[in-house]
Amino acid sequence: MHAFMRTLTSGLPGNELKWLKQGAKESNRSLESLVKRRLAHEPIQYILGTEPFGDLDLLCRAPVLIPRPETHWWTAALAEYLPKTNKRFAEHFAGPTSRTLSLLDLGTGSGCIPILLCHLWPKGSIVATGIDISQHAVSLANENATLCGISRSTFKAALADFLDPAFPNAETINPPYDILTSNPPYITADEYLHLDDDVANFEDPTALIGGSDGLQYYRDIANLISRDGFLSSDAVIALEVGHSQADVVSDMIHSKGFNTDIWRDPWGKKRTVIGHRR
Amino acid sequence: MATPEDVARLRQLKETEPLQVAWDDWTSTRKVLEDMTPLLNDPDPAMKALASEEASELDQKLSNILKETLPSLLVPPSTTANLSALVELKSGVGGTESSLFLATLLRMYMRFSQSNSWQATVVADNENEGGGIKDAIVEIKGVGAYDALRWESGVHRVQRVPATESGGRVHTSTVAVIVLPLIEEKDAQKEELYSMDDIKLEVMRARGAGGQHVNKTESAVRLTHIPTGITVSMQDERSQHQNRRRAFQVLSARLMDQKITREIAQRRATKNNLIKSADRSEKIRTYNYAQERVTDHRIGFSVMNLTSVLEGDALQEFTDRLRQDFEETAMEDMLNSES
Repeated sequence: MHAFMRTLTSGLPGNELKWLKQGAKESNRSLESLVKRRLAHEPIQYILGTEPFGDLDLLCRAPVLIPRPETHWWTAALAEYLPKTNKRFAEHFAGPTSRTLSLLDLGTGSGCIPILLCHLWPKGSIVATGIDISQHAVSLANENATLCGISRSTFKAALADFLDPAFPNAETINPPYDILTSNPPYITADEYLHLDDDVANFEDPTALIGGSDGLQYYRDIANLISRDGFLSSDAVIALEVGHSQADVVSDMIHSKGFNTDIWRDPWGKKRTVIGHRR
Repeated sequence: MATPEDVARLRQLKETEPLQVAWDDWTSTRKVLEDMTPLLNDPDPAMKALASEEASELDQKLSNILKETLPSLLVPPSTTANLSALVELKSGVGGTESSLFLATLLRMYMRFSQSNSWQATVVADNENEGGGIKDAIVEIKGVGAYDALRWESGVHRVQRVPATESGGRVHTSTVAVIVLPLIEEKDAQKEELYSMDDIKLEVMRARGAGGQHVNKTESAVRLTHIPTGITVSMQDERSQHQNRRRAFQVLSARLMDQKITREIAQRRATKNNLIKSADRSEKIRTYNYAQERVTDHRIGFSVMNLTSVLEGDALQEFTDRLRQDFEETAMEDMLNSES
């Protein structure tokens, strides 16, 4: 390695350099150009174009939100938890039943949550829809599903705005849903100003900022789930939350007629609010 | 009606069949030799020469049966014959020079695997800043890989003038090698090497607020097997899923290694024998560049072609002889235990 490159790469953790080397080799790009991008704080996932999510490899493209390890953790936990959650779900996952379960993911981004669930559960056990207001995200989610061998009849991403009052009647969706998942934007306006450049300068702010207090989308989701006919009578919801939001969000969901549970992530943060219709 | 005892007897009969064949071969050959002995004194010189030629052939055959066939049948079959290997290399004394030599040894094992049609993959490695590799783990998949490589465990010593040495002085540096038995995931469960309740799995490093706030790749995992205190850290892959799989693979290999060592110790203890040291801090081999010589200290055997050893070719001579030495020791153990 040239002395110049050595100086350049000394700012990178050893593993990142190794991964960039592999990426340069596989894609026939110069290592120098990749290292320069990384040193300019571009996330390695955008540079390499992929991010592992469980045993899946998902495409990553700016500015669509990069799947996080926390999201993988709770999605995998949900995949194990749901079949045990109530009698109908248990029977459903034990063998073919007359109706497949339906799942809606709000603000699907790369599609990581519904795609992993479709991948982990037996083929044909659910039909999932992911919606997003970003066309970039919708395209990427559909590409990811194809890449992971999930058919269009099992998962589809579509352009839609769940803040729109007419959303429950939108053509792209088909309520009632049995499972509702979401990792909505939850960073407060104030926190956003203090984020690392790696996040703030490259990822879509619309996928990150949840209004001035970070809770705006949870209020909207709480309204949505209380609308007649939007969720089935024994529906389960799973919402990712920011590090200090779990209790507030749990109360919001509880007040709409749900029993709630909070899951802690492996790094010790209250990360997921689970709701069961009472 | 066949009873369970009959089945056991039948199985024993079947297992000892090759021994019976070899013994019959030995007795019949001996009989032929005895029968023709008078011909060795035949007055006809042509007949006498013919007889003497045949006698020496028979003699050769008998000694073959005695020295090769019978002992190989008496050595208990290896219980690890099907296992693949996990080879761990760690730099020892000598700083960068040791890391440079580690890279050479790594290449030797990769080439050796290739010529034996085993699949070798470097699953973890750490580069040394001044050059070479600080440590590495190689997975070598293939039947017989473990049995061939297991005697590579120990300290390998290199004696040469480092490229960085201006005064032309010879340095001595070392690399530690540990060869572990690698078992498939499904077999690991069958062997019941560990219970998931005994395992602590940690994702390393704090992530601050985590979630959407942070997009750093966080794939490192650490496993701790509580009963033995063995810890395995893996961080080479971007995928935590992969790192976790690798970590369990290394843990299984270490536990399997302990199990095999324990079984050998138990067998020997019951026979009240001296245990030949299997100390991994023992210096087992020296690679001397000036003399183009590689010496294995355990069997006192040298190859005067260092290049060929490092190319992976002449390494076979060492692995073959070490395996033979092991089998002979096993025979001696057996004979001693009879007395």
